[in-house]
Amino acid sequence: MTTLPPPTLQPTTNSAARAAAAHKVYGSGDSEVRALDGIDVAFEKGKFTAIMGPSGSGKSTLMHCIAGLDSLTSGSVFIGDTNLSSLNDKELTELRREKVGFVFQAFNLIPTLNAYENITLPLTLGKKKGDSAWIDRVIDTISLRDRLDHRPSELSGGQQQRVAIARALASQPDIIFADEPTGNLDSKTGSEVLTFMRRAVTDLGQTIVMVTHDAVAASYADRIVFLADGRVAGEMFSPTAQKVLDYLKRLGE
Amino acid sequence: MFRLAIKMTLARTGRLVLTSLAVILGTAFLSGTFVFRDTINQTFDRLFADVFRDVDAYVRSTTFLELDFGGEQRAATPVSVLDTVRGIEGVTSATGDIQAFARVIGKDGEPLGSEGNGPPTFGGIASADSAGLWSIETGRLPVGPNEVVLDTATADNGDFVVGDKVRVVAVRGAREFTLVGIASYGDISSPGGATFALFDQPTASEFLLQPGFVDAILVEGDDSVSDEVLAQRINEALPADLRLETLTGAEITAEVQGQIKDVLNIFSTFLIVFSYIALGIGSFVIYNVFSITAAQRQRENALLRAIGASRRQVSRALLFESSAMGIVGSVIGFGIGILLSQLLNALLKATGFEVPTQGLAIAPNSFINTLVAGVLVTVSAAWFPARRAGRVPPLAALRDTALDTAGSISRRVIIGMVLVVAGGAGMVAAMNDAPIQILGLGVLGVFSGILVLGPAIARPIALSIGLPVAKLRGASGVMARQNAARNPKRTSRTAAPVLLGVALVTAFTALAASIRSEIRDTFGDAFSGDIALTVDSQGFGGIPLTITDQISALDGVAQATGVGFTSVRLIDPNEPASATQAGASQRGVFVQTINPSTIVGLFDLGVTEGDLTTLGRDGIFVDADRAQSKGWDIGSRLQIIRVDGVVVDAEVRGFVSGDTSFANYVASRDMFADAPSPIFDAFVYIKVAEGAVFDDVRDRIAAISSDAGIGTLQTKDEFIDDQAAQINQVLALIYGLLVLSIIIAIVGIVITLLLSVFERRREIGLLRAVGMTKSQVRTTVRWESVITSLLGAVSGVVLGIVMGIVVVAALSDEGDITFRLPVNATLWIVFISFVLGVVAAVYPAWRATKVNIVEAISAV
Ligand SMILES: Nc1ncnc2c1ncn2[C@@H]1O[C@H](COP(=O)(O)OP(=O)(O)OP(=O)(O)O)[C@@H](O)[C@H]1O
Ligand SMILES: [Mg+2]
Repeated sequence: MTTLPPPTLQPTTNSAARAAAAHKVYGSGDSEVRALDGIDVAFEKGKFTAIMGPSGSGKSTLMHCIAGLDSLTSGSVFIGDTNLSSLNDKELTELRREKVGFVFQAFNLIPTLNAYENITLPLTLGKKKGDSAWIDRVIDTISLRDRLDHRPSELSGGQQQRVAIARALASQPDIIFADEPTGNLDSKTGSEVLTFMRRAVTDLGQTIVMVTHDAVAASYADRIVFLADGRVAGEMFSPTAQKVLDYLKRLGE
Repeated sequence: MFRLAIKMTLARTGRLVLTSLAVILGTAFLSGTFVFRDTINQTFDRLFADVFRDVDAYVRSTTFLELDFGGEQRAATPVSVLDTVRGIEGVTSATGDIQAFARVIGKDGEPLGSEGNGPPTFGGIASADSAGLWSIETGRLPVGPNEVVLDTATADNGDFVVGDKVRVVAVRGAREFTLVGIASYGDISSPGGATFALFDQPTASEFLLQPGFVDAILVEGDDSVSDEVLAQRINEALPADLRLETLTGAEITAEVQGQIKDVLNIFSTFLIVFSYIALGIGSFVIYNVFSITAAQRQRENALLRAIGASRRQVSRALLFESSAMGIVGSVIGFGIGILLSQLLNALLKATGFEVPTQGLAIAPNSFINTLVAGVLVTVSAAWFPARRAGRVPPLAALRDTALDTAGSISRRVIIGMVLVVAGGAGMVAAMNDAPIQILGLGVLGVFSGILVLGPAIARPIALSIGLPVAKLRGASGVMARQNAARNPKRTSRTAAPVLLGVALVTAFTALAASIRSEIRDTFGDAFSGDIALTVDSQGFGGIPLTITDQISALDGVAQATGVGFTSVRLIDPNEPASATQAGASQRGVFVQTINPSTIVGLFDLGVTEGDLTTLGRDGIFVDADRAQSKGWDIGSRLQIIRVDGVVVDAEVRGFVSGDTSFANYVASRDMFADAPSPIFDAFVYIKVAEGAVFDDVRDRIAAISSDAGIGTLQTKDEFIDDQAAQINQVLALIYGLLVLSIIIAIVGIVITLLLSVFERRREIGLLRAVGMTKSQVRTTVRWESVITSLLGAVSGVVLGIVMGIVVVAALSDEGDITFRLPVNATLWIVFISFVLGVVAAVYPAWRATKVNIVEAISAV
């Protein structure tokens, strides 16, 4: 790092990923949409962070940009100390494969591969063996050992999401992004998945950033970042569902 | 990743086989022709190795002419050489060999073996010498001028037994012989369905060739020296002035094997070219299949990209799948091809060519070639879709709707238009005397331009074709129309095989119709007689001149004249010696042989200068254009070398032009009167005398020709129609191509529809959920298919007509051929395409009704 770091809400030394003065503009002229309108945010290593905000506030956009799936209009994002704007497609692909994990709301798994193959897919893609003890531990944690040779179509929605999280964990990435991972699940299955994510952070030392609309889901996190109109509107540490609901109510007024 | 690619491919085995259909089809044709060719070659190899088993040396003339289609015509060898050879130390026996035209007349008076397209009919020598090629099965060898032996198959077909009287027609006319024996050639009854009439040597020479001559001499040695030494010895003993050469048994065997292969290869090369065209058209289907599957798997590929697969890994997984498809398709195709080769064999048998196949020759090379061609075509067809799949943005995994990679329509229109205009310009240039290759390039340019334009024009055309469908079929019709237009790229690619086939056929049908009417006009003007006797002998044998003269002399015949063809070598003494000597070309040219004293006033050869009656023994008329390009004038001297090596110092005495003279050179039949290899007539033109009863005269001519067992008798109108119909043979080939492209087009439409149904299963499920009946679902799919097929047919017809007009204009020099629109054929083509659409939709429509509603709408 040769340039002076831009001001952030948290100290940068311990961040797994961060965005600085991030702008993302869709369209132009009359139809211009400022999805991100100058966001400075950092995600601490070994912590579980939730992102909340009204629909259209830019949560998904922010996540895509930080994860290297999409590019900013201006500003910069970092994974660890790597500035993503300096990377070409090949390097970005490698970074996604090795440093970043993903869990989406739906369609997370390759339908033709079984659970185990899906979990190890990032390693296979990188022609790596991976840490088998680690993978064992991950599989134990999602408690799906007896379903490893099942295809996604033979798994329930919650099981599919757990496999997706296991896949995100398999390569021991620096950071995992999850966009409404429980959005399609009932509250029981959802809490299964959230418990598992919590354990991945607490027990396995992983870093997770999760977008959610659900106050209960957000309460599993160490910290919540609130977005509104493409900007950071506030944050909350050690949240409980009640605190979150109260905060959202105030924000809405 | 490789292992995973295998898994991902295997997980879709059903689809793999489905999408391999196009590959299977193309490679089946290819391997079918390979196996067919090898089987026939192997059979003939074995046959000739067997027939020439006891031949240690082979003496023949060094003078020969190369004919078209790999054949050759060789000068005859004097019988006196037989004695010379017999006297050489190490020679056990020597016997003459003749292979000349002879036709056996069946008991019903009809000649055995079909005329024209059938296998040839031969006359030859049966001899006791072990070097002879024939062995007697029953009876004995023929002796003297009245005895004949037939091959087993001919005797069986003609129901002849030893002791029967048999009529045979050859160059000296028709004669009756007593059947004294039945012989076989090697271990088969008759090679290739040809018929054989065999005589003793003097009779054969006199009746089939020229007294005192044979075609060649077969020699058997006593094995005291090697064949090479024996051949050397014979060569040294031969009189130098006779210009003879001696080959070893192995050499002549290899040569005959090679010759038959050359002839067969023309046929199989043609089939193989067809198969490659089929594979080429099939590659459109393959390309389409991959484009669709890549689009359908976009989210999956995007997901792979999101979690760290590189572009290359995604592309390579698809390429791997395409290789698997190519391999699976080619292997299955090869299996089907073996069956197809049997079918080809049966087909040939049905047309009279009994090819004596023994077993199946499945060469490793056929398999390798099929596999390589199949995989290569598949992988290259998958190349662009695979590259495109790799470029899918990872974000596409997160969006529900498929990204529309419409590309730049305007760029497509520009490139397409440039190609069409350039191609059109090429075609127009060809009309104005640019080389004919430019025409080919022009056609190619127009075709590729149309294919590039396809996606841009498919939507409006599909919408307008679908308009009546939407009107007539209600909601289903409206949806069918929209479905056909919703993905113009896919629709145009699916319609492409139909378009290609239809455009070619329309253009050629138009061309043929135009040429046909042109031929009709020309012959109507040229032929002023009433009756024609024709023989379609394909350059071997024909109407003996004696028959022509017999007809001439008939009561009630005012005038009759014969026209035939022969090959000679032509040397222009004024051309630089290097061109004639160094090239040492043995290439023959066709000469039309006429009877100058009877042709004038009966058949107009289009003489532009000179008088045919001045031809004599050493005169020649030349096509005016050729004479001009060669710089020959009246009085120019040319050397004509006959097949027997005799050089005629000829003089140009006139010019002909026009389409009724079938060859560039015309000579009197007198020029060949003393040649050992006789000439025949191919046509005899007859004018009935005034006052004679037409039917009577006709009957009398028919009596002569049926007595001779040769020729087809036609009235003037029949003859002209027949000449015009020659062009239909070419057309038949083009229709063969149409059938191929139709089969491929059907497969293409079936696959595309199946994939579309799969892709739209949620939509179909939703429609079923809100109340669409199964039959409505079927109607929707069926009409989408019909619209797609008609899209190809209509654009193909338009393109074909435009090309037909241009080609006709390009081919006719002074506008002497006019374009004729083949209305009936065009209507048929459109109708067939309609049926094609309906047929192709049957299975996909059924599949569409099987969509499970609950699964479809709840699937993620
Ligand atoms: N591809 C796009 N083109 C144009 N505008 C877009 C595009 N993607 C997102 N937007 C706009 O950007 C803004 C932010 O979108 P984003 O998806 O980040 O919202 P979100 O906070 O994730 O909303 P939700 O909670 O509904 O998922 C929205 O106004 C959206 O309409
Ligand atoms: Mg979102």
